[in-house]
Amino acid sequence: MADLGRAALVTAFLLLLFALVGGSLAAWRGRRRLAESAQNALLGSFVATVVAAAVLLAALARHDFSFQYVADHTSRELPLGYTLTAFWGGQEGSLLLWLLVLSGYSVAAVLTGRRAGREVLAWVVPTLALVGTFIAFLLVFVASPFATQAALADGAGLNPSLQNPYMAIHPPMLYLGYVGLTVPFAFAMGALLARRTDERWIVSTRRWTLAAWAFLGVGQLLGAHWAYVEIGWGGFYAWDPVENAALMPWLAATAFLHSVMIQEKRGMLKIWNVLLVVLAFGLSLFGTFLTRSGIIQSIHSFTQSSIGPWFLGFICLITAGSLSLVYARLPLLRAKTRLESLVSREATFLYNNLLLVALALTILWGVVYPILSEAVTGQAATVSKPYYNFFLHVFGLPLLLLMGIGPLVAWRRASLRALGRTFLWPLGAALVAGIALLAAGAGSSRIGVIAYTFSVFVLASIALEFARGTAARKALGGVGWAGAFSSLIARNRRRYGGYVVHASIVLLAIGVTGASAYQTVRESRLKPGQSMSVAGDRLVFRGYQTTMESNHRAIRGLVDVYRGNDYLGRYTPGKNQYFAEDQVSNEVSIRHDWLTGGDLFMIADQVNTDGSIDLKALQKPLVNLLWLAGLVFVGGSLIALWPDAREERRLAARYADAAVRI
Amino acid sequence: MPGTRSPVRLIVALSVAAVLAVFLLYTSIAGGGTPSLRPSQLHGHQGRVSLMGQVIGAPAGDAHAAGLRFQLRDVKGTTTVPVVYKGSVPDLFKTGRDVVVDGRLHNGVFVAVPDTLVTKCPSKYSPKR
Repeated sequence: MADLGRAALVTAFLLLLFALVGGSLAAWRGRRRLAESAQNALLGSFVATVVAAAVLLAALARHDFSFQYVADHTSRELPLGYTLTAFWGGQEGSLLLWLLVLSGYSVAAVLTGRRAGREVLAWVVPTLALVGTFIAFLLVFVASPFATQAALADGAGLNPSLQNPYMAIHPPMLYLGYVGLTVPFAFAMGALLARRTDERWIVSTRRWTLAAWAFLGVGQLLGAHWAYVEIGWGGFYAWDPVENAALMPWLAATAFLHSVMIQEKRGMLKIWNVLLVVLAFGLSLFGTFLTRSGIIQSIHSFTQSSIGPWFLGFICLITAGSLSLVYARLPLLRAKTRLESLVSREATFLYNNLLLVALALTILWGVVYPILSEAVTGQAATVSKPYYNFFLHVFGLPLLLLMGIGPLVAWRRASLRALGRTFLWPLGAALVAGIALLAAGAGSSRIGVIAYTFSVFVLASIALEFARGTAARKALGGVGWAGAFSSLIARNRRRYGGYVVHASIVLLAIGVTGASAYQTVRESRLKPGQSMSVAGDRLVFRGYQTTMESNHRAIRGLVDVYRGNDYLGRYTPGKNQYFAEDQVSNEVSIRHDWLTGGDLFMIADQVNTDGSIDLKALQKPLVNLLWLAGLVFVGGSLIALWPDAREERRLAARYADAAVRI
Repeated sequence: MPGTRSPVRLIVALSVAAVLAVFLLYTSIAGGGTPSLRPSQLHGHQGRVSLMGQVIGAPAGDAHAAGLRFQLRDVKGTTTVPVVYKGSVPDLFKTGRDVVVDGRLHNGVFVAVPDTLVTKCPSKYSPKR
């Protein structure tokens, strides 16, 4: 079995190597037959990788402990679900997942990317193959998932913190995001290499970029939810390097998704777009490197591994290679049109881009600061939460505001008087909201008031856009309000899907602000019968209840919660003591208030031998909007992604000459 | 804008300048980062530092009263320093674990800032080979 896996990986490596070398030669010399076989080799490498993945999956399912990987990451008692998800529980399996996802994307992008034009596609194949060859090389020569040993009686088991339903979904989502950014990168490089610097490469990869970006966003939100309900410190994001590793490419990809619209509409920002796609892809490689090299201290301590230096070398190669290619093609990347006014849709997109990139780069600076400071002063220093929060406020709040302004500003040149009329309603709504917030005592956090006022402004301007569009469509006649509304979205999926995503980001901002700027934290040592209050709720400790489970002892504090005279229920924050792992885990108890969207978050911080409890309680207003934002985000992304026959016809007519089959 | 070749360049240049200004403002207010030290490097540091080491011996005391007391040793060394800590103790904290905690050295004892104790997960992904 292991031999089959190894053979499949070697086959994938050789096919990718051929696609790289043969494909480059074919594209360079313009040999069509060779280009075809390079493309077929790329497709074949997907099949070989699927075989390798199937072998590993089968070994996991059969508890074949002659596979080192299976023995290291699973055990006989481990439930089947977690046994299978151990596929990406370790480094070698994660790399195999990388290759699987990459070759899957490659096949899909090459098969659907004909619109980019034959010359471009001929170069896309070797670019995708270059990345694939690198990962396959690691899998074959450095970190093989198919290393064997004398079969053990039982395996080492999976770390308890990974035995969680989120383990099944969070890492694959992130991989679909990280790896998916290879597609726009490969098409950008293909376009540069083929000297076809029009917007075709963007149009033909738009959906893949959007999909990768949506996966990356959802993956991060799932991780945040995992941290919130399971890790139990009451937060959902800690600016840890590994979390930042996923946030940075997402920010760069967000900037890219916006700026490509300017190139499509106005033929501007060509250099900026290729630089952004290099940045996004480079950051996604850097993210993988961070999580795999152990170079930076993180609470997600991944062991230092042999693949770190390889990744660093590859990042340097990709960055240097793509930047010199951009430099060589600069004359071709000149814009056809110029920015006409500082008050225009293009300009607001540009501001949004600069803010997103600035945010991504300041986070990058914070992440690598320990290495840089050690290199310069000989003494490592770290930046912490205040650093990141400062820049989140400085760059994030204007970004929030721009989300409300951008969609209402006209292309090319907007007159200030027209702007005044357009913004009358949103500005009025924001003003009323600001005054109401101050009157309600929200002034305790200045940042909070600003964030909420901006949020209302953005929501109002989005609502206005939908209302205007619907009214205009209804005026065309023949449909009612509902019909006009749905046909409005159906006819402009990208635009209105985008607005829905904007609304989800506002919900996210509201949730984050509520949970951070307006949270109340109380800690108290309570004996049975004693109580504490936190932001209007009274918590009475009634004593402990201990139960024995198969692999752990479950200690639960019994906490009755009252609001005024109303009894809200019994909650049971506690701890589990795992025998085999000799490990304790916090089991938090959360009371969701569906009406207000807030949470009462209870942590049994310390279980004392004298029967008392150190109870930590957090009131987190509006925090559930964060998870609602995730659902809205998925909805908006799907609207924007949905195949659009009308758009296809329009594009087909526009690029009729490029639709030649290879 | 007559006279200028392209406002894009102006915007980009001004933004870069603005970002640099914001950055300088931040670093001048908040200073650089927190130095990250091992117990053997602690001597002579007055201000707040981030200390990383391995927990040695049995931790004693009450983290929610007078404070939890334990010794931290260089992960690859012999120098140890006594630490007193108050606040939440992470699940994974125990003898032999690598931890990071912020605080100041005060009369030979490292007095930790409350709620800054962080444990490093033991080999979350794979055993060291």
